[in-house]
Amino acid sequence: MLRLGTRKLLDRSFTGLGVLSIALLTAALLILLAPMCLRGSGAYVFQGTVEFRRVLLEKFQRGDRDELQRELALVRRARQPVFDALAAFQKELAVMPVAQRRKIKPDFEQVHAAVKELLGPLPGAEVPLMMRGQYGQTRWDRAQVKIRKILFAEDYDFSGGGLGRKVLKPRAATFRGTALEPLFAYVEHHAVAMLAPRWTFYGRFLTDTSHDAHFFGGIGPEALGTLYLTLGAILFAVPMGVIAAIYLVEYARENRLVRLLRICISTLAGVPSIVFGLFGLAFFINTVHLSANKSVLVGALTLGLLILPTIIRASEEALRAVPEAYKQAALSLGAGHWRSVRTVILPAALPGILTGVIISMGRAAGETAPIIFTAAVSVGKPLTLLQTFTQPTPALPWNIYNLCSEHVAVDEIRHVQYGMVFTLVVLVLLLNLAAIIVRARISKGLRT
Amino acid sequence: MMNSAKSSLMLSRSANRNQRLARWFGEGFLLVVTSLSMLAVLFILIFIARDALPFFSWTHFKEFFVSTAWYPTQNPPSFGALSILFGSLLVTLGAALVAIPLGLTAAVCLSDVLPFRVRQTVKPVVEMLAAIPSVAYGFFALIVFAPALQEHGGPMLAWAFWLVVTPFLALTLLVLADLAAARFAENRQNLVRGLVFALLGAMAAWGLWKTGRRLHGLEISSGTNALNAAIILGIMALPTMVSVAEDALQAIGRDLRMASYALGATRAETLVRVVIPAAASGILAAAILAIMRAIGETMVVWMASGNAARIPEPWYNLLEPVRTLTATIAGDMGEADQSAGSAHYHVLFAMALVLLLFSLACNIVSERMIARTRRRLR
Repeated sequence: MLRLGTRKLLDRSFTGLGVLSIALLTAALLILLAPMCLRGSGAYVFQGTVEFRRVLLEKFQRGDRDELQRELALVRRARQPVFDALAAFQKELAVMPVAQRRKIKPDFEQVHAAVKELLGPLPGAEVPLMMRGQYGQTRWDRAQVKIRKILFAEDYDFSGGGLGRKVLKPRAATFRGTALEPLFAYVEHHAVAMLAPRWTFYGRFLTDTSHDAHFFGGIGPEALGTLYLTLGAILFAVPMGVIAAIYLVEYARENRLVRLLRICISTLAGVPSIVFGLFGLAFFINTVHLSANKSVLVGALTLGLLILPTIIRASEEALRAVPEAYKQAALSLGAGHWRSVRTVILPAALPGILTGVIISMGRAAGETAPIIFTAAVSVGKPLTLLQTFTQPTPALPWNIYNLCSEHVAVDEIRHVQYGMVFTLVVLVLLLNLAAIIVRARISKGLRT
Repeated sequence: MMNSAKSSLMLSRSANRNQRLARWFGEGFLLVVTSLSMLAVLFILIFIARDALPFFSWTHFKEFFVSTAWYPTQNPPSFGALSILFGSLLVTLGAALVAIPLGLTAAVCLSDVLPFRVRQTVKPVVEMLAAIPSVAYGFFALIVFAPALQEHGGPMLAWAFWLVVTPFLALTLLVLADLAAARFAENRQNLVRGLVFALLGAMAAWGLWKTGRRLHGLEISSGTNALNAAIILGIMALPTMVSVAEDALQAIGRDLRMASYALGATRAETLVRVVIPAAASGILAAAILAIMRAIGETMVVWMASGNAARIPEPWYNLLEPVRTLTATIAGDMGEADQSAGSAHYHVLFAMALVLLLFSLACNIVSERMIARTRRRLR
């Protein structure tokens, strides 16, 4: 038998284990949310450069044209030495001995490309077709990355063995003694003057359309698509779910059919979400031909099926929580069964039902797998209400996936990815907060 | 108003019949709407099976479950899904290893240890973990966790190993020393206890140090691997585990606990020897639901598991990329011809059918378990 002291120690360490697991749970949540919130809010609040204000004015017609012109004139003057140095070095390159030229030219081309990425097309050069080539860096944090790219060459050090370590080699040493040498010091010290970064609140990120595969602009079409899909799913699932719950609670007698119904509802809740997506494709699109291809309608129906069991269960619970006395009072006043349900029980259960609806709204907004084959496309315009019946839409969850694993330049648009995740998570958590508040109200209401 | 009141109070035969007819129709309508969910389940089964069956001609059937050669777009294609099935199982097993112990201890803590007020603030944490969309988890796994794992994977694993194993080992040693000491006479017990503890402790510390060093030196070539997916999936499945298991523990009631305390058991003993065994079927149901959530999840595994359709070498190596059923369906359906009935299209439905049947089976088992707990408690 164990000593009493050991038993006490075990008891206390068991408590410690429990508290530790709760702490781990909380830590997991914090670790998960912290980068999303910190870097995600960077899509809305950041240091925008003069290029950002140019994009806003030229593509979205927002901002003060005269002020921008003044700013651009200042910036152009600050950039001139860089352009001069590039031009001078190009001339020098032409008369350089062949061996030296061959050695130095790749490095120069890298610098040249990096300068174009930082500041936009050089004056006098032809304007590129892609929009990402027409403007310099719009965000100061991205601009600093590009400045590092100008100042340092990346190399890998394999002396330690294994995968090799990344080392940075200053380019100024490579170009010592040439016309390009002053450029590096100049870029390092005059970056602020060349780009004029300024703290900006870009609230329209949520509603702006995107340009050139999310290099510029916001997430308007995605946000709108998510809104359509969520509302569509709710419109379909809430009436169905509430009616089913009313039947199960108020009318159903415990027989075999009802038991089967309950089993089916719990089964539906357990079907993997990707299977819902395949079902939507096989049934709504390939069999019923609800729309020729993916459409918001089909996606909303599929999502509606997905959240149906949640809504049924929440509504059932809310209806069961209505005190029996309410119902008996209604019946004793002469109301029929249906009338007592409609005028007494349903209103009393409404906050509880609402909680379930809000939570399933969050679920519908965040689900990705069911809409991959039924509603979502990577690039699209914002839809009008009528178009939702026939056209697919971009949606936040799908585009988060798409932007961070299938986009051409994943690293360049981190802020958009984080912004999308941030928006989606905040949306879902706000919905849940609302549900928690409604529920707190109910428990207070039932107590008094 | 007057009129309607009069008509509803009149008990003439025709009015009565009309009312009964209306009620019959009304209830019928409610029933029809309610059976929509039954219809949905039926239709899902039928339509997934209908598109899966063309694939399961006999040769394909065998190939699907036995071969590991997954080259669906080659000519001739081969559809060996063994490695994909295995990937799903491996990742789910890993997730279960994270979610079930952690979820159970958290549930116990929530139901029995924490005071009411603290519980009210912890519950929203669990709810928030459940509410965060799966694509956000996947994003975290791909953008934040994978690079971290790739660069500091070894040290991270070593620290996690030390953190988890050290307290457990210490407690085990304590108990062992105590048990050993109990065999000796009263006056020599302390000496024996100290000796056994020191001896075993030195051995355990040496083992810990060695294993930790080995983990510390690991180089992880890719951060998107089975381990990453398993950990994130485990965290995703936690809320299910916690809330269902907590319900099961709560349902046991005070009587059993009080009886155990009255017999002189500590809280830990009460929980481990009485409450948890009594709630076993409910806890098992929670574990099954958590596993279902993990195996049916798409986005996290698609983004975090690396998507390589082969069995890791050796098979339990979590540090290699794997590919799962859900990720294959999501990733390949775009390439497969969606409307025409190519074999690639049908094999993906076959995978969905496997998933569907698995979750149906799990669901039935867990329902049984929950029903059994309820019956026994009544």
